[in-house]
Amino acid sequence: MIIAERKPIDEILGFLSKHQKVLVLGCGGCVTVCLAGGEKEVGILGSELAMARSKEGRPLEVVQKTIERQCDFEYLEGIRHIVKDVDAILSLACGIGIQTCAEAFPDKIVWPGVNTKFLGVNLNVGVWAERCQACGQCVLDKTGGICPVARCSKSIFNGPCGGSQNGKCEVDPDTDCAWALIHDRLARLGEVDSLREIMAIKDWSFSRDGGPRKLVREDLELESGK
Amino acid sequence: MSADANFQPKIVVFACENSGWLAAEHAASLGLSYPERVELIKLPCSGKIDVIYFMKALEKSDGTMIMACQQENCKFLKGNVRAAQRVRQTQNLLKEIGIEEDRVGIFYLAANMGHKFVEIVQNFYDKMRELGPNPGKVIK
Ligand code: SF4
Ligand code: SF4
Repeated sequence: MIIAERKPIDEILGFLSKHQKVLVLGCGGCVTVCLAGGEKEVGILGSELAMARSKEGRPLEVVQKTIERQCDFEYLEGIRHIVKDVDAILSLACGIGIQTCAEAFPDKIVWPGVNTKFLGVNLNVGVWAERCQACGQCVLDKTGGICPVARCSKSIFNGPCGGSQNGKCEVDPDTDCAWALIHDRLARLGEVDSLREIMAIKDWSFSRDGGPRKLVREDLELESGK
Repeated sequence: MSADANFQPKIVVFACENSGWLAAEHAASLGLSYPERVELIKLPCSGKIDVIYFMKALEKSDGTMIMACQQENCKFLKGNVRAAQRVRQTQNLLKEIGIEEDRVGIFYLAANMGHKFVEIVQNFYDKMRELGPNPGKVIK
């Protein structure tokens, strides 16, 4: 899922300084699961903002709402009546949700309430780690299901590099060396010999090299284009 | 002491039904009294408390607390440990916006401690009187 973290409160208060009534908008998707922008976080942040502004003697009316997903226009459509009555929206969705929200409501200021960090996994309560960089051409078939792009600090193929020490990465001793993990997993599966095959240089044209990416599946398109 | 000598703090007390709540009943059976503007809310375990409840309570009060079973004595084993963690989390949020962190607290007692219940409430009330009105109160 997409992992995000709430922005520092002073930054958020700065965004909202000129508003009197805002909608704090949560998302029921990834940010609910990573405890950054779900219904509960909307409630807590809503209280914190209202209290901070009361303290300053400049009350802020906070409308709170959490929708199923902010990255789908359909769900945003359902809150148009709420949006029309507020000065601005503080979105607690990931960067995708925030942008979809801004696109759905072109006449409304939409502020980001979280920093979107990475695509990752929840390892423990309060601990998340990166797993994929959406490179566009997955190589997990060759690497035992462990991603060298996202989990090797240098994103190298045919690793490990010379800095791998006792299974740890030279960039950060708390980080596992992805290539040590790949080696160990393939060894466990009896497939370690597959590492003798040299992987070709990564073709980054599937990634960000050509600018923003777009996926069109003509088989799914309807006549209207919608 | 707050500037206003007549200031009567409003306090929201969340109480575990296995300790704080029973202690309040015990205090009542002994005919003990405590300040008027104290709202008691029963929880099935102190572990049910959450940051959001404290924050909503503080929107309309001067201070809030959780009354939990004695340490190592939670019926659900870790409820009071979790409650203490949520008190710390709430204190961090208050600190972020410049509100006194003492406006939220956790206190431990047992079901048969009516006197202790009143003492905790009275001390907290006095402390809130000293701090003065919650500057962040939203619902006045
Ligand atoms: S808006 Fe972002 S956080 Fe919400 S469901 Fe979509 S991808 Fe996940
Ligand atoms: S190879 Fe690319 S698509 Fe596959 S997990 Fe790694 S970054 Fe993601």
